[in-house]
Amino acid sequence: MSKSIIQVDELGKTFSAGRAQVRALADVSFSIEEGRFVTLVGPSGCGKSTLLQIIAGLVGPTTGEVRIEGERISAPMPDKIGMVFQDPTLLPWKTALANVEFPLDLRGVERTVRRRRCAALLDLVGLREFADHYPHELSGGMRQRVAIARGLAQDPRLILMDEPFAALDEQSRTRMGHDLLDIWEKTGKTVFFITHSLTEAIYLSDRVLVMSPRPGRILESIAIEFPRPRELDIIGSEAFGSIRNRIWHLIAEAQP
Amino acid sequence: MTRGRTLKVVTIVATLVLWEGIVRLGFVNQIILAAPSDIVAAAAKDGGVFMRAFAVTIAEIVAAIIVAWVLGVVLGVIAGSSHMLAAATAPVLSSIFAIPLIIVYPLLMAWLGIGPLSRIVFGVLSGFFPIALNTIDGVRAIEHRFLVFARSIGASRPQIYARIIFPLALPSIVSGLRIGTGLVVIGVVVTEMLASLGGIGYVISYHRTLFDTGHVYFGIFLALLIAVALNAGLTRLNRRVEVWRTREQESLHG
Repeated sequence: MSKSIIQVDELGKTFSAGRAQVRALADVSFSIEEGRFVTLVGPSGCGKSTLLQIIAGLVGPTTGEVRIEGERISAPMPDKIGMVFQDPTLLPWKTALANVEFPLDLRGVERTVRRRRCAALLDLVGLREFADHYPHELSGGMRQRVAIARGLAQDPRLILMDEPFAALDEQSRTRMGHDLLDIWEKTGKTVFFITHSLTEAIYLSDRVLVMSPRPGRILESIAIEFPRPRELDIIGSEAFGSIRNRIWHLIAEAQP
Repeated sequence: MTRGRTLKVVTIVATLVLWEGIVRLGFVNQIILAAPSDIVAAAAKDGGVFMRAFAVTIAEIVAAIIVAWVLGVVLGVIAGSSHMLAAATAPVLSSIFAIPLIIVYPLLMAWLGIGPLSRIVFGVLSGFFPIALNTIDGVRAIEHRFLVFARSIGASRPQIYARIIFPLALPSIVSGLRIGTGLVVIGVVVTEMLASLGGIGYVISYHRTLFDTGHVYFGIFLALLIAVALNAGLTRLNRRVEVWRTREQESLHG
């Protein structure tokens, strides 16, 4: 077994909303091995995004801890973790290329070096011809591709993705998933992906973590054994359908 | 010359001739309306006085603009980036902005004298509030996701302010600068007229008491020149920062 890049131990998170205490996460433990594509699914409001933000070091846990490559996380680690959000959050006054370069620019990476690296990343996400376009000149899917390239800019070993395709129409969404697998296979990154689409989760992942409604905990970790590279046709297969059913029942039965 | 240009020149010449004629033929009292030739004569006679006054006014306005811009933007960004500070300061600032500030000018004169300093300070006071208020608005309107993104890529606090918050708030800041800068010009020129011994406002006011209407008009013309030049510069700046904002909105709705 390869070593784990994310180690989550007995993680709990409680928010105080006025006088009330809201338990978002309860006793979440799991680990993810290097190079894997792991997806977390669960109903809306189950604490998926909170979990991701804790792993990213953006929010502190109430109990428990997260280790990234063995190091306990307490603040963002941009050289180890790249992030892609549901909204691409591109800077509207910068071109696609300048957006990808932005994290490196802040770190003082020399212009020619970062330009070369980021042009290659834009090429990887299929936007070579759009380097000089501004975000408003790109489609939703293209903007999210720029955001993915930007997430890869600091060459982190781990990419965290928070429902990155949720705002796209189904066709672009399917295509983006397919292309993301291609990028993942080429770069060998570890991907931790959040979605509420079961189909997307199963199609993309080596393993699907199923989360309960709030307070969120991991109900089950399901290995997805379809061979890679995967074709979209597997979505219609019987094996795929039965996994989807199983996950669906897990979530439905955990409803309070 | 193109036809449009010919028409323009003809219109201007015709207006001047008509204007001159109305005054010369005695339709309007010369104290009320100076003829173009009177204005030119005033400029020729006291050109040196006008230029010195013009220089004083410009220096005062530039000083007041720099201070008002820097104070307004810096304090606005600071107040805007904290929910509590914004809630505490914005209502106070907008109440003060609603007061005709000229009522405090006697105090400024008592404190700072009738020299340029009291006029510069009054100019700053006049322009500061809309700049600060617009800056606060612009910073408050920044969506939280940008700040989360900035932290996720390891941006330092100064970087978050300079590279994320400031540019995102810039369209709103620039519209504050447009309003504020106009008020700075008014503040400086008005206080020159009220009580001082220098600047265009003083020259206008002085010649008004002598019924030198030609001088008054030339002074007004010079004051207008400053206002028009500043407005043209700010309009250009505004157009530059507006470009991505409007396009962004179009692409969201289209």
